[in-house]
Amino acid sequence: MQIQPFSVNDGEGIRTNIFMAGCPLRCRWCSNPEGFEKKELIGWYRRRCIGCGACAAVCPQGIGIDLDALIACEREVSKTGHDSCIGCGACVKACPEDARTRMVTLMDADDVIREVHRHRLFYSYSGGGVTFSGGEATSQPEFLDYVSRGLYDSGYSIDLETCGCFDFERVRPSLERMDLIFMDLKHMDPEVHRKYTGVSNERILDNMARLSSLRHSDGHGCPEIVIRIPVIGGVNSSEENIMASASFVHDVLPDARMELLPYHSLGKIKYEAIGLPFEQDDFYTPGRDEMKKLRGIVAAQGVTVADYR
Amino acid sequence: MAITKRVEKIRDNYVNTKPHISYERAWSWTKSFQRTEGQSHLIRTAQAFYDTCCELSVNIWEGELVVGTSGEFRKCAILTPEFGWLWINDEIDTFPERGQDPYDVTPEQTEFIRKNIFPYWEGKSVEEAFLARTSEATKKIGVDTGFLDTDSKWRNGIGEISADYVDVLLPKGYGGIRAEAEAYMAELDEAVPAEKARIEFYRSMVLIADGMITLGRRYSKKAAEMAELEADPVRKRELEEIADVCSRIPEQPPKTFREAVQFVWFVQLGGIIAENPLAWNPGRFDQYMYPYYKADEEAGIIDYDTALELVECLWLKYSEWAWTISKNTASFFAGYTNFENLTIGGTKIDGTDATNTISYMAIQATRECMTHQPTLSCRIHPDCPPEFMEAVTELVSTGCGFPAIHGDRTGYQMLSNLGYKPEDARDWNNCGCVVPHSRKTFEWTSAASISFAAALEFALNQGRSRLSGEQVAPEEKDPKTFASMDEIIEAWKKQFRYLVRHGVISLVTAQEIHKEIGHRPFMSACNEYCMKNGRDLVDGGAKYNIGPVFTGVGLSVTANSLAVIKKLVFEDGVTTMAEIIDAIDNNWEGYEHLRELALACPKYGNDDNYVDSIARDLADFFYDEVTKYDDFYGNHFVTAFMGISNYLPTGKVLGATPEGRHAMDPINEGVSPYTGSDKSTCLAALRSAAKMKHDIHSGGTLLNLRLNHDLVATKRGRANLGAMLQSYFALGGFHVQFNTISNEVLADAQANPDKYRSLLVRVAGYSAQFTNLSKEMQDSIMARNAHEAF
Repeated sequence: MQIQPFSVNDGEGIRTNIFMAGCPLRCRWCSNPEGFEKKELIGWYRRRCIGCGACAAVCPQGIGIDLDALIACEREVSKTGHDSCIGCGACVKACPEDARTRMVTLMDADDVIREVHRHRLFYSYSGGGVTFSGGEATSQPEFLDYVSRGLYDSGYSIDLETCGCFDFERVRPSLERMDLIFMDLKHMDPEVHRKYTGVSNERILDNMARLSSLRHSDGHGCPEIVIRIPVIGGVNSSEENIMASASFVHDVLPDARMELLPYHSLGKIKYEAIGLPFEQDDFYTPGRDEMKKLRGIVAAQGVTVADYR
Repeated sequence: MAITKRVEKIRDNYVNTKPHISYERAWSWTKSFQRTEGQSHLIRTAQAFYDTCCELSVNIWEGELVVGTSGEFRKCAILTPEFGWLWINDEIDTFPERGQDPYDVTPEQTEFIRKNIFPYWEGKSVEEAFLARTSEATKKIGVDTGFLDTDSKWRNGIGEISADYVDVLLPKGYGGIRAEAEAYMAELDEAVPAEKARIEFYRSMVLIADGMITLGRRYSKKAAEMAELEADPVRKRELEEIADVCSRIPEQPPKTFREAVQFVWFVQLGGIIAENPLAWNPGRFDQYMYPYYKADEEAGIIDYDTALELVECLWLKYSEWAWTISKNTASFFAGYTNFENLTIGGTKIDGTDATNTISYMAIQATRECMTHQPTLSCRIHPDCPPEFMEAVTELVSTGCGFPAIHGDRTGYQMLSNLGYKPEDARDWNNCGCVVPHSRKTFEWTSAASISFAAALEFALNQGRSRLSGEQVAPEEKDPKTFASMDEIIEAWKKQFRYLVRHGVISLVTAQEIHKEIGHRPFMSACNEYCMKNGRDLVDGGAKYNIGPVFTGVGLSVTANSLAVIKKLVFEDGVTTMAEIIDAIDNNWEGYEHLRELALACPKYGNDDNYVDSIARDLADFFYDEVTKYDDFYGNHFVTAFMGISNYLPTGKVLGATPEGRHAMDPINEGVSPYTGSDKSTCLAALRSAAKMKHDIHSGGTLLNLRLNHDLVATKRGRANLGAMLQSYFALGGFHVQFNTISNEVLADAQANPDKYRSLLVRVAGYSAQFTNLSKEMQDSIMARNAHEAF
């Protein structure tokens, strides 16, 4: 997981985002590929690298400066530096330019809570708090349960951002502590959904409908819901799909709002850093006018449009 | 509302013309002094002021509603040879062409000045007196060195006064001040020595009041003459109105908002003529102007837009006056900035919210005029109305660097720490860039600039300058033989004590000279207690006499350097003192790997106690050491972390430093992190800075941060910025100022200055036109780390 203080677009105010690695989906437009797998991960930002070799000098695995380069192995299968990396972080400490960076870190839940507390003053003045995100926030249910309980007791605003693909009853207690839940809706067509994310949307739609059953654990009210559509030009940006999505949301969650976020390719640098191919050339970023039109369609279905920018 | 045609025209002229040197004031002053030989210096000064008010050319420029100029040019820079003329004589030929803050001046003017003005002042100026009374040792460390500088207190007028509009100027007018002085005089007996001195003081008050009254009447007459000749009926009417207003102002207390604006400018102009002062502060403008606005509005004689245009005309008057400074001083205070600090917002003395229509009008005027003056400051209290916070952060988002944002309570604590009464401490206003100040005060608020990093250089180089090799400070052992952090810290303290000591000697000398030949009758007339006590400011007439302020520079560079030595030499053992000294002696050449290790060490500005605690210890030592000295008047000296733009010249004189900085690179200003080294979040930078116990550094603290423009592009983003400010103030921080213009824009402005003449940016504690800054300063601003939004 990773902790990112000073996040301002995932809920109200100034927030600390807790990114939890491990995601059941493989959305092809994903901008946070470091969150795919649940393992410690070191990234290499080659543009910052000055080639000093401090990383190679301390690497217990004998990996060189170039994490993408094949390295000699005991067995015949050749592996890259990324494959051999055990995520110990020795190179991150050694690197003077922050070219080697921890992308995913194993952290103790109590340390996470402590780190979140550090910024309490900023939450209280801004109405902010914590947002569980990912990767996938629900991919580590025990952790989520423990940390969200600790933070709930501190009175912070706590939000959660999810792809929607999880075992609902297992996560329910955590969800019922949330002030706000963001759930993604990538496409209404199960087959298109499967094609681009690796899984069908059936469970997601089912979970979405079940959000209406959530009640705050103190018995007062229920979490606010915002259904988010990452609008990927060429995939789900058609008026029909947006209209069907909004109509579905309106039916199953009459009080929910929707937020439409345009696709961006800023994740490219992260793909490079962790040695994964970046294959998003088919997608385009919808323009301002197109987004405006799509938001209009959502509103026309009777759904309030949310905006956290 | 958009800016009016009138204001736009005045503004275009302001943006597109270079300030012109005028010797009118200096010539009148000189002739007057030639006539008054033998009189007391106080009377001579007041008489010179009166004579100048009678002689100065009277000019009303096209379109002006608010009138009064310090010479024959619209953008005027005047001379005050009585403080210092040697530097002007040395530099005047290069004024038009110099890189930073050039002035136009003709060869004929230069010849006149050299022939008629300078010869009289030879041997008589404050500068010469200072140099004559200062030892070689003090000069070696503290005159034009960049290690320790005090010359703003003996080469220029002092300034650093907040006019008391509330208890003195607006309710009395200069007619009232004159009458009061005469009433006091009538009670005194010249045959009693103590009373004789007071009589003299009141005579000086009468001369000052008569000078101001004359100035107003001359403008009234001029406007009436111009109205006679004016063909355009609209302008004719305006000139008649100016003639009418100036027939009463500043003699009588203003009765309308229109009159109050003209009154405030005349007072400002009087101060300029008297001293050409730095940090001559209008103070809490929204507080004393609002009653006039409210009354006029209720009476139906003014509306918001009319008032706004007047305020914008005033803003342009503040900006048209250019401070005349040496090349060296210009490198410290770049951008023609004269720090006319105008404060808005905060709480009233009774603790309730003080914001009013004028607070918002001031913000709008600054946004629309985009002039570098006034230096707009705001006070933010914990219960600040969201509308005001939005107006403030919206102005921040334009990238102009205004307003400087201050914590209301920290300002109060800073003054309380100096012994102010609660009612006065609550009424604080800003002075100069970030100094909490009061209209009841006499204080040299920017007296010495002292370099933490220079002390480190001397500690690590046996008391010698690393660049020149000269022995300028006490000897120290071979730095390669330091065996512990304690030893190094002790060596730094020894060198720093030496700098403080010579700063004290310099300033006490300067105070002694000012008491002899630095009388300030004009400023004393703006001070309630001078009148009550019958004493000039330099004779301790004010209610609060505060010791001179030492401004620390290079805090983060020094703390970062000590952290590198602590970690790499004494903890990790990956290098030795010898290697570090060799590396900085060679400006890191051949030691690139070691430099990388140094750069990777903890840096101040990331909420890392490893280094932040070192910075705090240094800051505490600074406070303890400086405040143990008393000044000429028996008041203890005061500390600040302000910095103006002095991080450039103070860096230029230093060799490389252990934290990775190269020789001659800038150091840092105020409590700001070193440029580019605050790599975490904005929140971490604020947290580091807040650890510096701001309340004890009563001379003010300064924090500059750059924000990515996206963060403040939306209303919601600006609300978050407001929350960050409130959090910083809750942690005890005092001031923060943001630059939010993207580097792309700045790079374009550097390449195409003509397109960006009006682009205002934050320098340090103030804003200046970007294109008026030297290339090196532009680069330094672009290098400041932008905190990205996520």
